[in-house]
Parts: sequence; C-alpha cells; structure tokens
Amino acid sequence: MREKKSKRLKTLVFLFLAGLLCWPPDASAQFHPKDTEWPSYAADLAGTRYRPLDQINASNFSDLEIAWRIKTDNFGDRPEYKLEGTPLMVNGVLYATAGSRRAVIALDPATGELLWIHGEHEGKRGGAAPRQLSGRGLAYWSDGKEERIFYVTPGFRLMCLDAKTGVRIPSFGNNGEVDLKLNDDQDIFPDLITGEIGIQSAPVVAKDTVIIGAAFREGMTPKSMHNNKGYVRGFDVRTGKRLWIFHTIPKKGEFGNDTWEKGSAEYTGNTGVWTQITVDEQLGLVYLPVESPTSDFYGGHRPGNNLFGETLVCVDLKTGERKWHFQLVHHALWDMDISSAPILADITVDGKPVKAVAQPTKQGFLYVFDRVTGKPVWPMPERPVEVGSVPGEWYSPTQPIPSKPPAYSRNGVSIDDLIDFTPALRERAKEIASKYHLGPVFTPPTVSKLEGPLGTLTMGTASGGTNWPGGSYDPETHNVYVFACNSCIEPIGLVPAPKEVSDIAYIAGTAGREVEILHGPGENAGADSPKPPKKSAGGGFNRMDVDGLILVKPPYGTITAINLDKGEFVWQIAHGETPDLVRNHAALKGLNIPRTGQTTYNIGTLVTKTLVIAGEGNVTTTADHPRGAMLRAYDKMTGKEVGAVYMPAPQTGSPMTYMVNGKQYIVVAVSGGPYSGEYIAYTLPSTGE
Amino acid sequence: MNTPPRECSIGEEGDDDVMMKYSAAALVLAALASPIGPLRAQAPAAESRSVWDGVYTEDQAKRGETIYLKECAACHGAMLTGGESAPPLTGGPFLANWNGLTMGDLFDRIRKTMPQTNPGRLTRQQDADILAFMLSINKFPAGKTELYRQSEMLKEIRFESAKPAPKK
Repeated sequence: MREKKSKRLKTLVFLFLAGLLCWPPDASAQFHPKDTEWPSYAADLAGTRYRPLDQINASNFSDLEIAWRIKTDNFGDRPEYKLEGTPLMVNGVLYATAGSRRAVIALDPATGELLWIHGEHEGKRGGAAPRQLSGRGLAYWSDGKEERIFYVTPGFRLMCLDAKTGVRIPSFGNNGEVDLKLNDDQDIFPDLITGEIGIQSAPVVAKDTVIIGAAFREGMTPKSMHNNKGYVRGFDVRTGKRLWIFHTIPKKGEFGNDTWEKGSAEYTGNTGVWTQITVDEQLGLVYLPVESPTSDFYGGHRPGNNLFGETLVCVDLKTGERKWHFQLVHHALWDMDISSAPILADITVDGKPVKAVAQPTKQGFLYVFDRVTGKPVWPMPERPVEVGSVPGEWYSPTQPIPSKPPAYSRNGVSIDDLIDFTPALRERAKEIASKYHLGPVFTPPTVSKLEGPLGTLTMGTASGGTNWPGGSYDPETHNVYVFACNSCIEPIGLVPAPKEVSDIAYIAGTAGREVEILHGPGENAGADSPKPPKKSAGGGFNRMDVDGLILVKPPYGTITAINLDKGEFVWQIAHGETPDLVRNHAALKGLNIPRTGQTTYNIGTLVTKTLVIAGEGNVTTTADHPRGAMLRAYDKMTGKEVGAVYMPAPQTGSPMTYMVNGKQYIVVAVSGGPYSGEYIAYTLPSTGE
Repeated sequence: MNTPPRECSIGEEGDDDVMMKYSAAALVLAALASPIGPLRAQAPAAESRSVWDGVYTEDQAKRGETIYLKECAACHGAMLTGGESAPPLTGGPFLANWNGLTMGDLFDRIRKTMPQTNPGRLTRQQDADILAFMLSINKFPAGKTELYRQSEMLKEIRFESAKPAPKK
C-alpha cells in the first residue's frame, strides 16, 4: 500500500462543483483585510492574535454551541493526532491545512461545507520529512483581483494555489511550485529526497513577498555536528523568483562569522526560523526569531557566541539585509530557540511613543525592543552566569537579562519551587531533586553521573515557558497576553556519544543507560559478545513526579497579562482545570488546593474586544463535564474567568475568530491522545431557534 | 460523537482479524462514548483489570526499551519527556490524556501513526513491547504475564493514572 503511494508523485485536486457555484461574487478593489476577517496566521503580520469583535462576550460565552466541525482523518492516508493549524478567514472563505497529507481545504465559514481540497503526494520525500503532519497553516495574498494561497508541503515545496479553486497557479515558479531544497546557497545533503530540511509553520506574505524559514529534526541527540542550515528566503508572490536570502549562520566574510570559532560555521547546521515570522509592512522590516544551532545541549563543536543562533534579527523586507539583531542567548545550550512570533506593539513608555517588538520565550522573559533601532526598551544588562564543566564545552560567561518586565514563568529550579502540599511529599520531591544539579536560568547542563548529578534540572528550557503558539497583543490596553508552562521540568544530562550513534562528543542522556543507546536489537547478541550490565528496564530513569504529582508547586500553567507601557504584570492566572490526578489524589484529601492550571506548552491565546480566550491542553473529567477539555474566556482587564465551553479533546491549535453573515465564530483545532484532529467552529445560538 | 478509528495499516501484515477487531473497537468506543460519568464504573467489576494489575513483564519492558531507544527516542526523547514535535510519554499530560481509556486505545494509536516516518513498520509484538516499556517508566507494576499484542484484548485493560484504593 505504501509502495504504491510512493510511486504516485502527482497532484490530486478535487473541485467541488457546489463550491464553485456558491462562490462569493467578485473581490473588488484593492485588498484591505477587515477586522471581521482573519487574513493571516496570527490575525495580522504583527503577530497579535487580536480581533476587536464583541458579539461573543462575557454575558454569553458559555452559551456557545458548535456551528460546524470537520475531522481531518481523511485528508491523508492516516489520521493525525496533533492538529496544530490556525485557519484563515478572508473574503468569505475559510482556509486551513489539514490531515497527515497537509492538504489545503477551503470551507464555507458559516457552515463548514467543503469547497475544495488540494493535496500533494510526495512519496518518499514526504515520508522522510523532518516536520510532518498538517503544519500550522497557510498564507493568503490578493492584489484586489487575484487571490492566492501559499503553503509549504512536508517535503519542503512552496505551493501557490488559486484561492478560488485550489488549482496551482501555473505562472508561479515551476507550474505553481518552488522546490525549497534548491537555490538555498547550500547543497542540501545527502540528496533532495531525504535531505533533512522542512517547515511546519505558516508562510508569511508581506506586500508582494512570501517569506519562508526552515526547520529540522529534534536536536537532542543528533547524528552529527554537520547538518543543513536553516536560511530564510523571500520570494516574489507573483513569479516565485527568489528575491533574497538571509544566512542565519553567516558565511565567510559576512558579519558574525567570527562568532563561530575553529571554522565551525562551515559544518554547523540548523539555526533555522521554524516558528512564525513577523513583519512591519509600513517600516518594511521583517523580524526573524532564530532557533538553536546543531546539538541542542552540547556546543563544544561550535565554540563562540554563534550568531545568529537564538537571536532576534531584523531584516529589510525588500532585500533581506540585516538592519539590527539582538542575541537573546549567547552560545545556546538549553534549546531555548526563539520559539514564537515576535509581537509588534506601538506603546508609550515614560510619555514617549515607542514602536516596539516584544518577544515571548521559553525562558519566560518577554524581551522588549525598539523595533526600528533594536535598542532594548528597558535595560538588558549582561549578567554573569554559571560556567559549567562539560569537557570540550565553550561557555559564555554572561547572558543578557531583561530588567523589565519580570520573568512571567519559572526559568530555573530551586528547592523553594518543590511541592509543599504535605511535609512527606516535599521530602520525596527533595530526594528526587537531590540527584540533580539545580540553579537559576542559564544554569548549564552537566555530564550525567550515576553517583550524581544525573543532570541539571531545568525549567524554561526545551519545553518551558512559551512555545510556538506565542502570545497575543491588545492594541487597546497595550497588554501582551501569554500562556506559559510553569512546570515543564527538563532534566538535561549529557552522556558521551558512542561513535556509531553520533560524531558529537556528548548527547542528551542519563548515566546507566548508555549501553542501550549503543546497541540496537541483535547487536552484540553473539556468544562471545560482552554482556551488558544486568538491570531492570528503565534503569537510570527518574520520573519527575511524586506519585503522579509534578515535582514543583502550582501553578502548572499560567496566562499573564503584561502591560507594555510599564513593563509590569496586570494580572496572572492559573490556566486550566486542576488535573484529575491532583483533584483525586489520596495524599491530598482534605487539602484546599486552588485551581492549579495544567502542564502543557502548546496553548495559544486569542484576544477580542473584551476577552482573552484559550483552551485547555489536558483532558479532565469533572462533576461539571465528561472526559474532555474546556475552552475558557477571561475578562481581559482583570483575568477573571467569565465563561467556558466544552471541547471533546485538548486545544492543539490556537483559536481564531471572524464574523460572517452578522455572526461571530471561534474556530479551534483539537486533538490528542485517542482523539484525531478536528477543527471545531463555535458560535452563539440563533435567536428563535 | 466518537467514530471508530479506521484500522488502516494493520492489514499489511496479513492479519485475518481486521473485521473482528474493527467491530470490537466500535463496540468499546461506543460504550465509552455514550454516557457521562466515571468511565471505570461501567467496566465489569469482577474480571476487569487495569494497568495497576501487573499486565506486563520486566523482560518484555527491557525488550521494549531497546526498541524504544532505536525507534522512538529521537522525537519523544530518551527520557520520554517529549520534544517540540512529539508529546511526552510520561508525566501529567500523558497520564491525563489516556486516563479512563484502555491499553487497546493506546496500542491502536501507536499502530496507526508510529513511527511517524513509516507507520505500521513495527510488528504488533514490538509495539506491545514498547508499551510495556512505557508502563514500566510510568511506574505501573510489572507482573508475570506479557502484555497482549492484540488490540481487542488490550481493550480489556483499563488505563488508570491514579493507583486505585486497595481491594477489600
């Protein structure tokens, strides 16, 4: 079955006649998105996830009912359980990526009726892609007459479709596609089929340029210090011609190349922009949040500060030339990346207007800059940080620490952070933590030793704080609203990498488990082979919980409102029902534990005229609702919960909203566990029904 | 509300029980989906088992560990803590997502979608071994018999994140 498919490298386009017949009449005049539409991934190119709609409000949120829903199972050869998309709604049509094929679907935004679908069968190239499934979304472009949809396939091809029909635009690139593995100022190795590079984020279209970053496999235990590089490119929306490229790892002679000592810029890869890109069309500036270089937790093969790794880079929209940059983390060792869209905000600081860019991060700092000059709005002094002792590692002795606003989620682990529900639980938590090295933000990883430490216990690293969904921004209140995981503990230990596994000196791992990493099934099974040490399965594993309770105190996950005029919190709340395990825990009986929020890192927020809206990331079963998760609404001024509506599975893609035929809708992607991906549209009941 | 998942990749190994499995899945899911309230109350009290009843062996978990490190760890992490593109297979959110369901549901999910680059490539035995390893990491007790490798049998084993109160 799979064989047959891989031979079928061809396009399937289904045109639904009905869809064509009810197409809304002419898109007249110049394209100006309305605030009742959602024309790009984050509502606008500023990354705000804001729409000033108010039909759905505090008085009626809990009355929401399902207007339509669409399962994504059949948009691919198998269901997907991690639907991360946010649809667009523009000019009366809703567009989304969906299914394991990463198909593009066009729906009637009022009824959910399928208008057209486009899917690309990429065979082995799709199967080998580092970032699979349906991705986060797509981009829309119009000159007032023509309408185009852009998306990137799992196999890393930029597709340009007619938004009315889903058919390729033949005049774009090579019959509607641009092979992104080509013309990239590097030879993608080993070959075009299996060469590791792709993208799961939505393309960005600004003016007449479509901008594409790059992503790779997870970098915890890479096979080599050599990898493809994640350059960023701009393409002409009409022709597909490459307009510019930005080398996220500078080439010889380019600015920043000297931050890669011993020639490490030559072979180090990754350092892509895998998350959403933000653009100020008026200023003609693009904001690139760049990720970590090859090998997330060990940088001994890339001595130096490693520009533009974990750097916010501002480039010119027309040329891709660097205007300014600020490296958030020198010489990355924690997989902090920059994981989400920079947010553009016009604010007033000390009475002066500032065109700002605010960057949420995994490390829980909101870095705020003047987006024209790149100067921090509040000082970010270089502070001394711990220098580790991993052999061969290169350490930056300092890191920039924002003086304002304060960190909005935990970015280190101390004994004070450990649970204190009862003295007994606290003792057990301390016992687990005692096997690790603890410390504040930027405490480096350690080599894992059986006698301890097993590694560094970190928070605000790989999966902490704010990940790809990013935050929201409200231009009325000048508040950023951002979800953060406040309990995503990440033990980072390093073990020497066996040569058969990697040419990198150290990879992520735990002492006592090297043998298993070394040998696959059947290896060393002969009579005279050395016998591995005998131990029970999972030796060296330490669960980061006590009888199911997370090691650290609640809140486990939060939403914080941060005022950008002042650099201060307006409110902070625990987001999400207390997990069943906590609510029903035998050891906690009789204790009055306020809502804890939930441990998850992929919750995106939506802000409207009056509400902040976000779904839960965990499944719960309570007296109020069956197994499922809730979509919650908070008063955006106070953080007080004003309503909630049931979802059959956790939110896995960030919610969006729009108006059509006088009704407001909220669409959210849900999936996870046994529940395959589904987009659900909520609206208010029609009166008289 | 819950439609039974399609068994899309299992047939490749020449299983002859696809239809039976399908209907079994439908029945169980229908039962799970229908009413509201604590799901475990619906399971027959007498013979029902949960992951707390020693449903895998240590040897099986050891086999599973080897397979896991080769096939799964690159995305889900050597410590099962997940990554940017793969969910954790231990800890609160993992336990919450599967609490109240069955080992069959978890097994089916792996059969249908993993490993991501080539779903269905592993045998049912290998998938069962990986599941056994996941149970051991999540500190569910080992027992004397191996975990089944048939979905409909695994559906008889409830996944409960919290340890039940000792039986009277």
